[in-house]
Amino acid sequence: MTNPQEIATKAEFLAHAFALEQESVDRYEELADAMDTHNNLEVAGLFRKMAEFGRKHAVEVERLAAGSDLPTLEPWDFKWADDEGPETGDYADIDYMMTPVQALQFALANEKRSRDFYGLVASHSPNQTVRELAGEFTQEEAEHVTLLERWIARHDSDTTIADDLDPPNIVD
Amino acid sequence: MALIGSGGAGVVTVGNLLLEAAAVDGSYGLMRRSAGPQIRGGESAALLRFADTPVEYAGDYYQLLIAFDWRHAERFIDEIRLAASSCVLHDPAGGDVPEPIVHTGARLIPIEMQTQAREIECGRANMIALGLVSSITGLKLETISSTVSRSLSAKGENVIAGACACLERGANMGQSLGIELPLPIAHVGTEDRWTITGNQACGLGALKGGVRFVAGYPITPASEMLEWLAPRLAKMGGCLIQAEDELASVNMILGASYGGVPAMTVTSGPGLALMTEGIGLAVASETPIVVIDVMRGGPSTGIPTKSEQTDLNIALYGMHGEAPHVVVAPVSIPDSVFTTQWAVHLAESLQTAVIVLSDQQLAQSRMVVNRPPDIGFVTRRVTAQAGVENYRRYALRADGVSAMAIPGTIGVNYTADGLEHDERGTPSTGSHDHLRQLNKRATKLTGFDYGDHWADIEGDGTIAVVTWGSCTGAVKEAIRRVGEQGVPVRLIALRLLAPLCKQQLNQALEGVERVLVVEQTFSRQFYHYLRSQVDLPKFTESLARPGPLPLAASEISAMLLVDGA
Amino acid sequence: MNPLSDKIEPKDYKSDVKPVWCPGCGDFGVLNAITKALASLRLAPEQVALISGIGCSSRVPAYTNVYGFHGIHGRALALGAGLKAARPDLHIVVAGGDGDGFSIGGNHFLHACRRNMDMTYIVMDNEVYGMTKGQASPTTAPDWTESELTPSGTHARPFQPAAIALAAGATFIARAFSGKPNTLAQMVVLAMQHPGFAFIQVLSPCPTFRPEQKEWKNIVRPFAVDALPTSDPALAALHCQRDDGMSTGVIYVEARPVWKRSDMQEIAIDDIEQEFRI
Ligand SMILES: Cc1ncc(C[n+]2csc(CCOP(=O)(O)OP(=O)(O)O)c2C)c(N)n1
Ligand code: SF4
Ligand SMILES: [Mg+2]
Repeated sequence: MTNPQEIATKAEFLAHAFALEQESVDRYEELADAMDTHNNLEVAGLFRKMAEFGRKHAVEVERLAAGSDLPTLEPWDFKWADDEGPETGDYADIDYMMTPVQALQFALANEKRSRDFYGLVASHSPNQTVRELAGEFTQEEAEHVTLLERWIARHDSDTTIADDLDPPNIVD
Repeated sequence: MALIGSGGAGVVTVGNLLLEAAAVDGSYGLMRRSAGPQIRGGESAALLRFADTPVEYAGDYYQLLIAFDWRHAERFIDEIRLAASSCVLHDPAGGDVPEPIVHTGARLIPIEMQTQAREIECGRANMIALGLVSSITGLKLETISSTVSRSLSAKGENVIAGACACLERGANMGQSLGIELPLPIAHVGTEDRWTITGNQACGLGALKGGVRFVAGYPITPASEMLEWLAPRLAKMGGCLIQAEDELASVNMILGASYGGVPAMTVTSGPGLALMTEGIGLAVASETPIVVIDVMRGGPSTGIPTKSEQTDLNIALYGMHGEAPHVVVAPVSIPDSVFTTQWAVHLAESLQTAVIVLSDQQLAQSRMVVNRPPDIGFVTRRVTAQAGVENYRRYALRADGVSAMAIPGTIGVNYTADGLEHDERGTPSTGSHDHLRQLNKRATKLTGFDYGDHWADIEGDGTIAVVTWGSCTGAVKEAIRRVGEQGVPVRLIALRLLAPLCKQQLNQALEGVERVLVVEQTFSRQFYHYLRSQVDLPKFTESLARPGPLPLAASEISAMLLVDGA
Repeated sequence: MNPLSDKIEPKDYKSDVKPVWCPGCGDFGVLNAITKALASLRLAPEQVALISGIGCSSRVPAYTNVYGFHGIHGRALALGAGLKAARPDLHIVVAGGDGDGFSIGGNHFLHACRRNMDMTYIVMDNEVYGMTKGQASPTTAPDWTESELTPSGTHARPFQPAAIALAAGATFIARAFSGKPNTLAQMVVLAMQHPGFAFIQVLSPCPTFRPEQKEWKNIVRPFAVDALPTSDPALAALHCQRDDGMSTGVIYVEARPVWKRSDMQEIAIDDIEQEFRI
């Protein structure tokens, strides 16, 4: 396990921020495609929307990074709190018949992990600029958390996955 | 001439030396082998025939039989037919002459080869026999001595001296027998003649065709081809892998060929059975491969050391699904060079699987041949160029052959697939893709111009023999004989078994009223195959016999001379 | 110039073919790890070949944009070996399932380990035949009764991939979890850099037929021994045998001569023909 607290330069921080959003976009797109393939169009749409948010944030990070030389980090060199990026979620929480509210809960867990990641950097980085920047990012992620919580509250809170009336298919 | 003996009598060595020495003296010849089931010390037979033209048929009967002993001779006796005019030189130390041999009426001459050999230091009975043969046939003793010395060069001077002394003693003994079977000598020089086995000839054809990767699993009677290929491939910059089984063999060559290197595997019936799923993958993924099946007696482990043509059906129909592929068969030992090279050419040009059906009789026989001619055609796979736009591996084209990208080529990366696929190669279960790709894989084979190579056609007349593979030798001999009696017979020996060139076959049969279909099977596989594909004349008969007995020209000519109507 | 957009991305190694895998399938994580590893290694896609057999996991080649061959059930290692022998210049990754690699292809697995060709073999082990609707595989526990085919379980001892690879002679052996693509990516990089046959058993849940495997994320943990990776086969065997099969990490690395073909170009066809002359 690595330490977000050790992120010490602005370039290193932005490399993390960009990767976080990029991985988030890639994962949501992958999930949306999978849901499309498996005819869960509503959840596919939600994941697509989450990917769109991620893309916007990635552009913001790119803007902040303009002119600076960001380090190239290998996937295992990132200082996430866990081995994986905060917004890639957990495959174990995915089901092809998951309900929209479950999809939102999946997204919520991602946003919370992001918020906590930035929070750790904001409070522990040895670099003042990084702490300030991370603070802003924490704020933003916290807003996402609130927003998602509001959406979840508005949604029908059904989290039981319906029975599939068809048996699975044998393919090859 | 037949030599039989057991327990290390050295009959195969004598046979090989004899063939070689006779070739040096200007004779053509053929040596077949027959062996018992033991690994060492078993009874074996070397069966030779000499002539002043290339010998593709072993003969109806033997004029000379040399028997070192008669142990288990009953296993060969139906293979070694004798006439009343034949001579049998037998060592009395080897036991009594068996009843069936006595019955033939052949002249029996006891000769103490064993005892004579013992009197000479490092003497061997088989060398006495070789000396006997030299005086009976007029084969020059110097030629034999130098051939023997060359082949024994590693064994030391004593052994060579002993062998030569035996040769001389045998030759002297032979002079007093009053048997004369002069070796037929061809007039022209021997510079362009080879001695070669069918297994070597297939191997050579593969190398000439450009095969540079071989994977195989040992199996009789195909292993010798693998053994011949391994060091030569390595020296030519290629590679042979001894695989863990035939499933691996066929998949390894698929991998190599996918990588752009012409690839081949070599097996016999049981191995071919294991490979059929992989051959289907070659067809579906359109990856060129060559599979040589050296047929032996089947089913199951069958009769591994003896010949049969009974893998025809599995070669034609053995694949699951509809998997059009090519099946070819050499019609003689020297033709094994051409047919195998052609097989590589077809596999590469058509991007499909080509099965070559050789058999034990072709594969393990050694023949003095005229050097097979070089072939003009250039073998080249249609490959994709780097960076072509919108590359589609399985694109539909008029001739059915689509460009194959070779790994390493930039911008045309694709995934080859055995799942049915669309033009790009993406798996598809749609009926339209299935139909289109089925059609693509079929038409590329049927639309191809196979030229004149599809069959060897000789002679004319209203009677025709349609045959294939190693039967062709006996058929040719039979046709020659009935021709001498004033009955012209056409020969159609198919080299391309699938796809069958129906139109050309019909043309070749024009004016034919009677057809005899000759093959070495029990259930008439070839006959039924032809019947299912073309309208043969009303008077079409089948001459089919399973192995291990080879077909005799005499039984074929007898059938040709019977009035078919 | 944008500092971020000219980087080699894992995405650059993905194709536009959409996986048929069930959402939540562990194999997505393996696909991501492979593309991350290729990006880290900065390999040109045309220099890499991904070879597979048949099964859900074996669908992986078409989802990448390297050269691929989706062959037949159980034979991927043989196909990969032929390709490597013919084209030593290519980087070969073979991938598939536990049924594909340990059952129908078990013999090839043993001999690929022995042969020690320079290639990487990734098995997505979900202890089940996913593609054929959830039958027991060689790695399934003997008392698993969910399949109609084995209603009272298999009664057979589960296949031990790492221990068997070790005994058969693999020179790089690792276990990983598909839920950790970054860690797995690093392992794939190490495996591809290893000269010789590198085997990675990836615990890759099948939520459809083994929903209980969703718990794996709470069970798997890195090997808790400093001794690993080791080059001592006895020590590696000890830790393989003591483990419950859920510890991850590189277990064994050995430097052994890699299978090599001879690269002589000594003779031409004419020289060979000479030997037949009388
Ligand atoms: C020769 C052959 N036998 C059986 C099958 C059917 N089959 C397809 S995939 C499969 C098992 C797949 O299991 P595994 O390799 O573990 O892959 P997974 O789907 O679990 O990823 C079987 C038995 C086949 N395609 N070919
Ligand atoms: S059946 Fe199992 S292994 Fe196959 S795609 Fe679905 S989850 Fe993955
Ligand atoms: Mg499986």
